Amino acid sequence: MNQEEIIHKIRTGGQTELGLVYEEYREEFLHWIGREYHCSPDDSKDIYQLTILIFHDNIKQGKLEHLMSSVKTYLFGIGKNIAKENFRKEKRYVPISKEKWLKENLIDEPTQTIDEDAFARAKSALNKLGQPCQRLIELFYYERKSIPEITAELDYKNPETAKNQKCKCMARLRKIFEKESVNNSIVINHESF
Amino acid sequence: MNHSENDITLVEKYFDAELSESEMKHFAQRVESDDSFKTLVEQEKALIGAVRYHAITEDLQFLEHLESNLNGQGRNVTRPLKTWYLYAAAATIGIIVVARLFLTSFNETPDELFAAYFKPYPNVFEPTLRGENRSDARTEAFQAYEQGDYQKAAALFTELLKSAKEPGILLLLGNSNLILGNLDEAKVNFTTLNKDYDELDIQSKWYLSLCYLKSGDIDRARNMLRELGETEISYATKAKELLEKVK
Repeated sequence: MNQEEIIHKIRTGGQTELGLVYEEYREEFLHWIGREYHCSPDDSKDIYQLTILIFHDNIKQGKLEHLMSSVKTYLFGIGKNIAKENFRKEKRYVPISKEKWLKENLIDEPTQTIDEDAFARAKSALNKLGQPCQRLIELFYYERKSIPEITAELDYKNPETAKNQKCKCMARLRKIFEKESVNNSIVINHESF
Repeated sequence: MNHSENDITLVEKYFDAELSESEMKHFAQRVESDDSFKTLVEQEKALIGAVRYHAITEDLQFLEHLESNLNGQGRNVTRPLKTWYLYAAAATIGIIVVARLFLTSFNETPDELFAAYFKPYPNVFEPTLRGENRSDARTEAFQAYEQGDYQKAAALFTELLKSAKEPGILLLLGNSNLILGNLDEAKVNFTTLNKDYDELDIQSKWYLSLCYLKSGDIDRARNMLRELGETEISYATKAKELLEKVK
């Protein structure tokens, strides 16, 4: 696969393509990061997984369309930053909490983090949303698939139906979120007595 | 809190990058001056963040599962104690392994080289995730492969290929046949994958070279390894290394 093909595959594909890229650079990356930054095998794998997820997300979000360097150089650059950042924050190598790291680096904006309470309620609301709504909005907001792509993938009659469905799903999600917020405030009020 | 339909549409269009320049200005002013509107924006940000976070953590779980398959064992749940005697024990084992490799690497037979270099291709195509409980033939085939029941996997993959001409299935069928010693079938699988599909050609060549090695067809194995060694992919390093050893 050449570089353009890799980017195109990730842009249009799913987990299979993610797995193929993971396998392609894994050995070299783990060997390199372990040697350069004295990471344990488990830490090296954690860093590699985060690296691949960033690479994947950058392509999906349209931040990376063409590479000036090779995919390998790009991945090694991301890995280096993660290893250094982790070392700088902790002053020593400690295992990275991957979920926390992903929230801070891929979900929060650089200048503004999402309120933890609101985020917890949003996660809870999403779990109650059900399918196919959850899949539809993930395709739209995470995979960044266009409405025509979603129409084909989820077999909607036409793009207008898919767009309408997406709006309805988000409306339902907002409603569940608000319900969660009301329940939450009742619990807080109850506990304060 | 009740928000007007217009406000919801405005916020939705903002997050979907559909606002015009003037709408964008109007949006910024509302965020500055209207706390209720600002709350709506924050709420939408949290919801979209949760959607993205859910999908990202699913991809992370997928990579962790894949990693444990590539590793051939589960990931260490607890990290090893960093005490000197553990390092000393590891170093001793390392020295023994290196010494053994050094002593045997000069006269390895094709079978020994095959054993040293062959590793079944992991199921990156449809990994079974924890808690998943599906029982169709397709899931059963991939599960059998992951569990090392290659006889069952080969039979199910062969059936699946009749209706689903997927390169991933053909690659795993070839691997199953290679492990079972069905070398002729494995060669046909990898040759077909190489000739009839655009994907996984590097992988098909690597496993085809191992088929030739296993069946003692050294010239063909060397030719294929030479071809792989000239590429710029991760297989090139091990192909060059193996080529050096195949006499």
